[in-house]
Amino acid sequence: MSYLIRGKIALFIKVIVVTLFVSILLLLAQSAFAQKEYVIATFLLIAVLLLSLTYLTKISVPLKFFIPGILLLTAFVVGPILYTVAMSGFNYKTGNIISKEEAIVQIKVRGIEPAPSGLTFDIKLGTVDGKPAILASDINTPEYFISTLEERIPLVASSLTLNEYGVAVEAPNFTPLTDSEFSTADKLFTGTRFTFDDQYFIALEGFEAGVVSQQILEFVPEADHFKNLVTGAIYTDNGRGNYALADDKSAILEPGWRAPIWFENYSNIVTDSRVRGPLIRVFIWTVVFALLTVLTTFALGLLLALALNKPIRGRRIYRSILVLPYAMPSVMSILIWGGMFNTEFGAINALLGTEIAWFSDPNFARVAVILVNLWLGFPYFYLISSGSLQAIPSELMEAAAIDGANPRQIFRKITLPLLLQILSPLLIASFAFNFNNFNLIYLLTGGGPRNELDGEIAGATDILISYTYKIAFGTGTQDLGLASAISLIIFLLVASISLYSLRKSKVLETFA
Amino acid sequence: MNKWLRQDLWRHIVGISICLFALFPLYLVIISSFSSSGSLQLSSFIPREISFANYSKLFNDPTIPYLTWVKNSLLIAGSVAVLSVMIGTASAFAFSRLKFKGRKFGIQLLLLVQMFPAILAISAVYVIMERVYNFAPGIGLGTQPGLLLVYLGGAMGVNIWLLKGFVDSIPAELDEAAKIDGASEVQTFWLIFVPLASPVLAVVALLSFIGTFNEFILARLFLVDMESRTVAVGLQQFIGGQYSQNWGPFAAGSILASIPIVIIFLSLQKYIVSGLTAGSVKG
Repeated sequence: MSYLIRGKIALFIKVIVVTLFVSILLLLAQSAFAQKEYVIATFLLIAVLLLSLTYLTKISVPLKFFIPGILLLTAFVVGPILYTVAMSGFNYKTGNIISKEEAIVQIKVRGIEPAPSGLTFDIKLGTVDGKPAILASDINTPEYFISTLEERIPLVASSLTLNEYGVAVEAPNFTPLTDSEFSTADKLFTGTRFTFDDQYFIALEGFEAGVVSQQILEFVPEADHFKNLVTGAIYTDNGRGNYALADDKSAILEPGWRAPIWFENYSNIVTDSRVRGPLIRVFIWTVVFALLTVLTTFALGLLLALALNKPIRGRRIYRSILVLPYAMPSVMSILIWGGMFNTEFGAINALLGTEIAWFSDPNFARVAVILVNLWLGFPYFYLISSGSLQAIPSELMEAAAIDGANPRQIFRKITLPLLLQILSPLLIASFAFNFNNFNLIYLLTGGGPRNELDGEIAGATDILISYTYKIAFGTGTQDLGLASAISLIIFLLVASISLYSLRKSKVLETFA
Repeated sequence: MNKWLRQDLWRHIVGISICLFALFPLYLVIISSFSSSGSLQLSSFIPREISFANYSKLFNDPTIPYLTWVKNSLLIAGSVAVLSVMIGTASAFAFSRLKFKGRKFGIQLLLLVQMFPAILAISAVYVIMERVYNFAPGIGLGTQPGLLLVYLGGAMGVNIWLLKGFVDSIPAELDEAAKIDGASEVQTFWLIFVPLASPVLAVVALLSFIGTFNEFILARLFLVDMESRTVAVGLQQFIGGQYSQNWGPFAAGSILASIPIVIIFLSLQKYIVSGLTAGSVKG
């Protein structure tokens, strides 16, 4: 084995592996650069530099161990965290997803209107001298011409081949598109303006019709605004990612772009009642849900631990059955429970003899969520409570018993306080975990039930994290900026809770 | 009534009733997987028949690429387990055994980073991988290699943290002896440390495997094609709220997918319970 670690062969293998990684990363960096993803390209180049410096020179021994981990962490954890911070300062939602340059192009393309004459033509796509062109026919007049980007060439009907509707399909010098060329035609023809006269041009509507159109929105780069050529209205950059009329803020041009709005996403959480209202309701339920989960799972786990704290017959069997809920993949368990709560066919209603619509009523849905989480979580507290019970010195209990305390008093005055002291960091950790227990909510109730009529996306069982997910990836408006802001607030909450518990458990002191 | 009954009866009552609670869904899913009707129906809690129709549907129905899902899950979770432990061990070893500037700061930073719930950065990961897809379609959004990379990055924080705990508990005398004999840090790592720590590394790898196997939401967001899904996503999409119709095959599928995980879990119980107190894996 050792020849793989030292000597010429080892060096050879090392150089090959490093070269391989470096060249892959370089290739990626190059294509990232070509696509104008400068941040990603820079990261990749730095990675290349670090890799070659670390493994081909003797600059630092610890780095040899850290580099792969650091690169992965930076790319997929630290990077996204920073990106989340950045996104939270932007107006970044449906309608404001692209960059400003792209938005300007889009507005120009969309800023056309049919001419007052309302003229339309039947058209065939093709090329003239290798350049895109259309063969236009007005079957009523009838009138025929070829139009390219530069000029309009009138044609006489006798030189053309017409189909049964009187639409020209072939003309001299005009090469119609073949079927295979049609698949790529979209890029060449959509948005292209074919000559009509000095004022108007022909814009395509699908591949079969052309509309005589005029540009009504014109971009003025020096002033950074759009001008409506018909009405003379001026649309200026409103600082929030849209061109809008100065006196009517709601008159904006679509699409917008992602624009920095600094702390507006955060301040909206406080000031905008449409954001604040549901958020507060969701927050309260999140805390209640996490607290109730910790309480119920801990209580049941502790009860079990106490009951099985004596070598009674069958204890091993009990134990192996009791950890099963914890051993099952939780995704499967949650889905199974979802089926069991089904109103018509579910086992719960069959067992209770009821016909409760569990997931349609807010309170029943909440009960179901807590119950399922109890099932998922109690084995964890059973395992750690029974471990901790054994760690409590039995002398304490014996001394109390000699002093005349009954078992209940011993439990309340000695066992429970000691246990709580030992387990408090884990109780807090469990609270923090359930605070973000996305899978349970998403898979069991989907956050529902919710009142669909008022357009509110927060449901009765939505916790902060599932609500945030809906804001970012929901079916309506997707607001990545707001979702990022809420994400960071959740992180601050959870991190302070976890740090507090770690400090309590003295992990931080063992660093030195 | 003898003393035994008075003292232990309540213990058995508690034990048995909670065992029933624990077993109830499992029992239910097992009997429905063997029922011949594919839908969720509970006319009786006692099975009348044993039919393998649901299982054979799982393997033979072309609309349910169950085996492909299982293969995807095993492949992704397996690669994440092996690679993340390989990379994580190196970092954990350096944190635990090497002296260098900024070590304490590094550990604190790692602690903070591993606290960030991966799901909070999910929109950022989504947007970034969407951009990656634009220039490298092979590893961007919607691909298994992309998902694998995201998992690897996400597993890094927790795994280094967990491994550091384990590495700290391995006595350092052997490394020091090797060092005195003139071995470099890299040689000590490969020739002394890794063989010594391999059982622990295997445990962490298996835990990581379970964790990845269980992961749902990133997989759901990343893997859109029917053929590229993992078991968790596949089965969830398969019942997709219509519990009544596809329940039978779903029950069979989830049982088969759970068995290996349950076996791994039970055999590692000892480590998991001690690991739970160090840095939780699952709960």
